[in-house]
Amino acid sequence: MASPFLSITAPEPKRAEPRSRVERRAVEIDDPVERLRYLRRAMKAPEARKRRRGSATLALLILPLLVGLTPARIQSIESIPTVLHAEAPPPPVWDEDIANVWRVEANKSAEVYSNGLRIELAYATANRPRSRFPIYPTDGSAPKQFGAAPVGIVYHTTESHLAPFEEEATRRLKQLGQNLLSSLREAHSYHYLVDRFGRVFRVVEESQAAYHAGFSVWADSAGVYLNLNDSFLGVAFEGQTGAIDEVTPAQITSAKMLTDMLRSRYQIAAGNCVTHAQVSVNPENMRIAAHTDWAGRFPFAELGLPNNYDVPVPSVYVFGFGYDPAFLKAAGMSWKGLDLAEEQIRTDAGAAGARTNSTRYRASLQRRYRTIVPKNDIGEIKKSSQGDTE
Amino acid sequence: MSQHNGPALGLDVGTSRIVVAKPPAEEHGGDFRYESQLNAFVEIPFSKITIGVLERERVPYTLQADQIIVHGNESEKFAGLLNAETRRPMTHGVLDAKEPDGLRMIREILACMLGPASEDRRKVCFTVPAAPLGAADSLTYHEATLRQILSGLGYEPSSINEGLAVVYGELESSNYTGIGVSCGGGLCNVCLSYLSVPVLSFSIPKAGDYIDLNAAQVTGERANRIRLSKEDSFHFNGFFADKVHQVISVYYDDMIRSLVAALKEAFARTSNLPKFNRPVPMVLSGGTALPPGFRDRFEKLLWEQDFPISVSDIRVAQNPLHSTAKGALVCALSDL
Repeated sequence: MASPFLSITAPEPKRAEPRSRVERRAVEIDDPVERLRYLRRAMKAPEARKRRRGSATLALLILPLLVGLTPARIQSIESIPTVLHAEAPPPPVWDEDIANVWRVEANKSAEVYSNGLRIELAYATANRPRSRFPIYPTDGSAPKQFGAAPVGIVYHTTESHLAPFEEEATRRLKQLGQNLLSSLREAHSYHYLVDRFGRVFRVVEESQAAYHAGFSVWADSAGVYLNLNDSFLGVAFEGQTGAIDEVTPAQITSAKMLTDMLRSRYQIAAGNCVTHAQVSVNPENMRIAAHTDWAGRFPFAELGLPNNYDVPVPSVYVFGFGYDPAFLKAAGMSWKGLDLAEEQIRTDAGAAGARTNSTRYRASLQRRYRTIVPKNDIGEIKKSSQGDTE
Repeated sequence: MSQHNGPALGLDVGTSRIVVAKPPAEEHGGDFRYESQLNAFVEIPFSKITIGVLERERVPYTLQADQIIVHGNESEKFAGLLNAETRRPMTHGVLDAKEPDGLRMIREILACMLGPASEDRRKVCFTVPAAPLGAADSLTYHEATLRQILSGLGYEPSSINEGLAVVYGELESSNYTGIGVSCGGGLCNVCLSYLSVPVLSFSIPKAGDYIDLNAAQVTGERANRIRLSKEDSFHFNGFFADKVHQVISVYYDDMIRSLVAALKEAFARTSNLPKFNRPVPMVLSGGTALPPGFRDRFEKLLWEQDFPISVSDIRVAQNPLHSTAKGALVCALSDL
């Protein structure tokens, strides 16, 4: 028997799965009224949702314009012959238990969070609003879904001038940090900078895109993301690859708190917290690692993340990007993920038919990428996104 | 805050107070504005001098036979002067069928607060309680009557559960997922919401009035005076300045224990609760949640129970007196 003063006013919502698209999208809406309006619509009866699906066709026609592709190009993407993976690519690492971190206090100069994170706002600036981004299926067909809220984090180093991390150099360290922030602010380079003292500065507002990832590729179980300025947040460590004190302990502590906060806010999977080197590609020579910041030694464990260097590299197994082993070795890269991605290509090539060898198969994957990002457009895209940082 | 298309109002019609929330005055942003009136009235003998004073002081009143009826905030002052109890149009969260002037008075108070609607029938979202024990019929009457009054004033009314309004007013940061508790005068209302969808709501008939009436009986004071003492100087710190505070604390404790027990029982007995992927927040609101230490006492008693839902944090609303009206306004604006 139910409690006598109990009244059930609505049936159990069907969408209780973690980090649903609805939640992610809602988090991105700052205005409480707009957020409620969105949620109430999104959580309406399934019939209503089905009716709305009719408009998805229209969205497919409109959204490519927002991401810089014309409808004609979308047509060409649809005409790519489907190349299915023999086996589904290994799933990304999903952490179901994301710690809840919430904002405790905010004023004009800083925000303080429940895990101790403090974000300085003195250099925060707007850029352009984040565009909705296509999520491509791994079989090479046209995007069937689009995202709006950040789905991942790309970690960078600023590769800027450094002073020795010593007490005597405090003034110099501070000056270098300030100069760096001013320049990042002007270039809209990252969403966050963690300076040498571990102070976290917001550079570009989270609701805006930052020019941090350039040509880049990553994938998760939802699909493949291209050019991650809109889909991933950029977090930079003030530091230099290969420097003796690459990052300071304070930076790692703060970066963990920042990562926890961003993951909590956007329900970001641990497998989508990756380094610039892992995602960066050069479409001109079809090779990975156009940028080599955090090509190795990224402190995944200290940030509470799994070793994502072990995740198969999507740019390789989805789009056939190659690499120069000697260069990678020089850059300090030796990832299990690269080997796994190569293995994936061999398996897929075998499944595609007896006459297809790995080289031909890789070429077909590269054609897939070229169809989405035509070579002629590379310069144009570079110009419009002002390239990327580092 | 963005500018919201068109006008709308949020209305918290409580047993003790009526609060109206209005959108920001500035065209581009600003904070919601609030106005609050006691949901009470008092009769005073007719005299032309009194009428003159009321007019001069701009005290809202109505005339009835040989009586002047003062309503809203000023009623308390006059009740104090006359050593009389105020009368109230509502009891236990709904219109009081035994109060002959209740309907007329609540209409007067609402008319004073809302003013006449513009030609395009301004939207107003008003709060209604969840059904308390055995009172489903009176709830229907209450809601229908308020609709009628608001329509008569030229508004386009819609209703929202009081606990859900607290969620809409306070739990934006959790995507309107969590437990809203409104501790008012007549009832404590509770609503569990999942991504803005009310999953479970109920009320208990022990709230501020229960404390006032019982403490008044024990101490021999008037309930009005107990309420003032409770709202002005009572706190949960274990030390009491006088007997009134000590008695208030006894009934407060009883009320909180009842609320916690009801929460536990309601959630434990409901089989179709959604599976939350993380602990949910709980927010306490309403005039009865105002005394310092209320949250701590509530939290202590809740943790003593084996509560069936994992709660991340318990906090008092930013402004406990306004949060329900704010939620109603947010709901009205989201309907535009």
